[in-house]
Amino acid sequence: MTTVISFLGSTLDAAKFGPSRWNKWRPSVSICMQDDLKVDRFIMLHGTYHQRLADFVAKDIADVSPETEVIQHVLNFDDAWDFEEVYGKLLDFSRDFEFEPGQEDYLIHITTGTHVAQICLFLLTEARYLPGKLLQTQPQRGQPQPIGTWAAIDLDLSRYDSIATRFAADTQESTSFLKSGIETRNAAFNTMIDEIERVAVRSRAPLLLMGPTGAGKSQLARRIFELKKMRHQVEGDYVAVNCATLKGDGAMSALFGHKKGAFTGAVQDRAGLLRSADKGVLFLDEIGELGLDEQAMILRAIEDGKFFPVGSDKEVQSDFQLMAGTNRILMDAVAQGTFREDLFARLNLWTFALPGLADRKEDIAPNLEYELERYAEREGQRATFNAEARKTYLSFATSPAARWSGNFRDLAASITRMATLSIAGRIDAGDVRSEIARLEMLWSGNGADNGTDTLEQFLGVDAVATLDPFDRVQLTEVIRVCHRSRSLSEAGRTLFAASRVTKKSSNDADRLRKYLMRFDLSWDDLQAAE
Amino acid sequence: MITIDGSEGEGGGQVLRNSCALSLITGEAFTIDNIRGKRAKPGLMRQHLTSIQAACQISTSDCDGLEMRSSKITFRPGKVVPGEYSFAVGTAGSTGLVLQTILMPLIYADGPSRVTIEGGTHAAMAPPFDFLEKCYLPIIDRMGPTVSAKIVRHGFYPRGGGKIVIDIDPAPLRAIDCMDRGELISRSGMMKFAGIPFDIAERMIKASRKTLTDWREGAFIYRDLPDSEGPGMAILFEAEYENVTEVVAGFGKIGVKAERIGKSTAARIAGYIGSTAFAGPYLQDQLLLPFAIAGGGKFTSVKISQHTLTAADIIERFTGRATRFSKLDDGTHLVEVGG
Repeated sequence: MTTVISFLGSTLDAAKFGPSRWNKWRPSVSICMQDDLKVDRFIMLHGTYHQRLADFVAKDIADVSPETEVIQHVLNFDDAWDFEEVYGKLLDFSRDFEFEPGQEDYLIHITTGTHVAQICLFLLTEARYLPGKLLQTQPQRGQPQPIGTWAAIDLDLSRYDSIATRFAADTQESTSFLKSGIETRNAAFNTMIDEIERVAVRSRAPLLLMGPTGAGKSQLARRIFELKKMRHQVEGDYVAVNCATLKGDGAMSALFGHKKGAFTGAVQDRAGLLRSADKGVLFLDEIGELGLDEQAMILRAIEDGKFFPVGSDKEVQSDFQLMAGTNRILMDAVAQGTFREDLFARLNLWTFALPGLADRKEDIAPNLEYELERYAEREGQRATFNAEARKTYLSFATSPAARWSGNFRDLAASITRMATLSIAGRIDAGDVRSEIARLEMLWSGNGADNGTDTLEQFLGVDAVATLDPFDRVQLTEVIRVCHRSRSLSEAGRTLFAASRVTKKSSNDADRLRKYLMRFDLSWDDLQAAE
Repeated sequence: MITIDGSEGEGGGQVLRNSCALSLITGEAFTIDNIRGKRAKPGLMRQHLTSIQAACQISTSDCDGLEMRSSKITFRPGKVVPGEYSFAVGTAGSTGLVLQTILMPLIYADGPSRVTIEGGTHAAMAPPFDFLEKCYLPIIDRMGPTVSAKIVRHGFYPRGGGKIVIDIDPAPLRAIDCMDRGELISRSGMMKFAGIPFDIAERMIKASRKTLTDWREGAFIYRDLPDSEGPGMAILFEAEYENVTEVVAGFGKIGVKAERIGKSTAARIAGYIGSTAFAGPYLQDQLLLPFAIAGGGKFTSVKISQHTLTAADIIERFTGRATRFSKLDDGTHLVEVGG
């Protein structure tokens, strides 16, 4: 079944009454004269004023196409060139029409009607309110002839090979852009970036980036903004702030602005970050650190686009897209009552979890090149690894010993140190060895700091207080290894790796179990807490 | 199940129409794939759909793949049910082509039928009504059945809108031979026109008379049809012999001079009169089907067309009867449909 929806052309479809009308191209009639198009239903949209012409054209269609049922649909416009009116009435028409896209093909004829009507039909078709293809007709060149030609235009661009190829190239370019041109190899990460690319170019809804510190959340947020800017999706600016810095009284004013005299020290009007981000993107990093009052205001601002600056009784508007970053599990914060559930629900539409560098070991090599490039750009000096140095560094960087607790921040700092300390920009094995030592020290320090938390989690504050510092460090490392391992045996093999080499046989798992028992801990205790 | 490659031979709608007719008569199912495979717009066009649908309508057949642009159909014939039918075909369809699909099956049915077909009656690419009425149907009648045709309204390309009524009184088809056209009885020309100024019609006739110099003046008749049936014009020449009447037609076309059409159509009737063949080019391929159903027969004709060769092929596929073509000494061709 094919249904054509078409405006009666008050000029194009009109003709003198008499046989000569058959020498004229009349688009409505012509559609029904095509030998390769069978129209089962012809919905003729026309105003009351053109009733006579409509009847006349309907009769001629019946002549040339007895299989076509012509259905006249009266649609009156006060002003057929008024976009708002025409769009509104056509939208109503589309909503009332009982489309059955599975069983029928719809052709939306855009050759007749005012230009405004044609634009509206196009928009409604593109928005799928009219679930069909556009139909274009035109007279044949040369001799007057009533049939002319027709062409259906499918707005699903993926159906056109050459266009699809260009889109694929564009997407490739955008995802590469989001990855800062780094040829990342981690499959999970690449899939996530593909998704972000699609969301970024299509949606203005809030977007939440989760991931540990240094995983690249703020860099990615800025890249997303730049991509949107290239695609003309935003006109405004990129405004980023770390919510951890917005503590206390200044937070409200920094975010929402204030009126002069609102409080002591408010000597001038202040626009605030939300208003600075008007028509742009606001990135709130570490959004979990935001106070509950600020959360409520932010929620209202993203829902209505309106909020009150501090000390002002006049609402102001800002139309921004919110992106947020967090290294906390916001769900837990919601459970603890430190994060508003409704705000979380708003943020949770597009949530992307950025893996830490330790989980993207295959991406360390490409990022190494990227950081060297960045160093060269920044310092105006190029640094390179020699082959052995590169191999040594990468083998350490991708080993379990490299914790990358600061993620890309650690990697960037590490490269910067080696490049700076190298002689004449040649990073050799010696430079790498010193750097590895520095990293190990850095991470072991981290371990000690975090260790207290870890131990308190399993043993309780009182029990930890009775432990010697000697045991604390050892136990913390043991627990850390257990968390990384899939089984007690695997953890045992890792922890007793050196003695395994010298001993013929050993029961590492048993040795570990006994060690843990000294602190009233078992493998299951450690797993349950994960 | 007979499988036909729709792109072979002449490769047009004729294969579809003949196959439907033969299938209904022989009870043999068929599949055509690659329909109109070598054409610019391959697959089923509207006029083909109409013809196949008509074949389904007069019988209990069913057909898969019956949709626009379809490249493959499978037709399973049922029983032909005689009765009153009416079909309406659009712009591109010709009443004659629909009739070509259903006439033989209805002749083969066990009761009389009346068929009303609306659409084009006078258009290029299909035999005009006058040919059916004066040339083709009288020969069918001679084979046994009684088929009469009446035109209610003319329908010209591209508007169509004409109407014809066919009454069919079936009888078994007898094999006949059509070797000799007999003595010339009359010659006449008719100018049918609707919604076209008279002087254009007159110019067409005048141009034809320059070729048909020995035709008497009274032999040319003008028939001014109601404007509402137009616009359109057809020049028709008729040569009536004792055993056959040949009809040739030319159609007015925008951009082609009336004189040219008059002259070339006149040349075609003069060519027929000048030969001794029984069947002209239209009749040639249309006779194969009734002859094959009748069980054989032979006739003489003018140069064998690609249409005829394709029809002979299809007929052989369904009936097993081969058609032989040979050239005779007087320049005519002998067509023998196998017994």
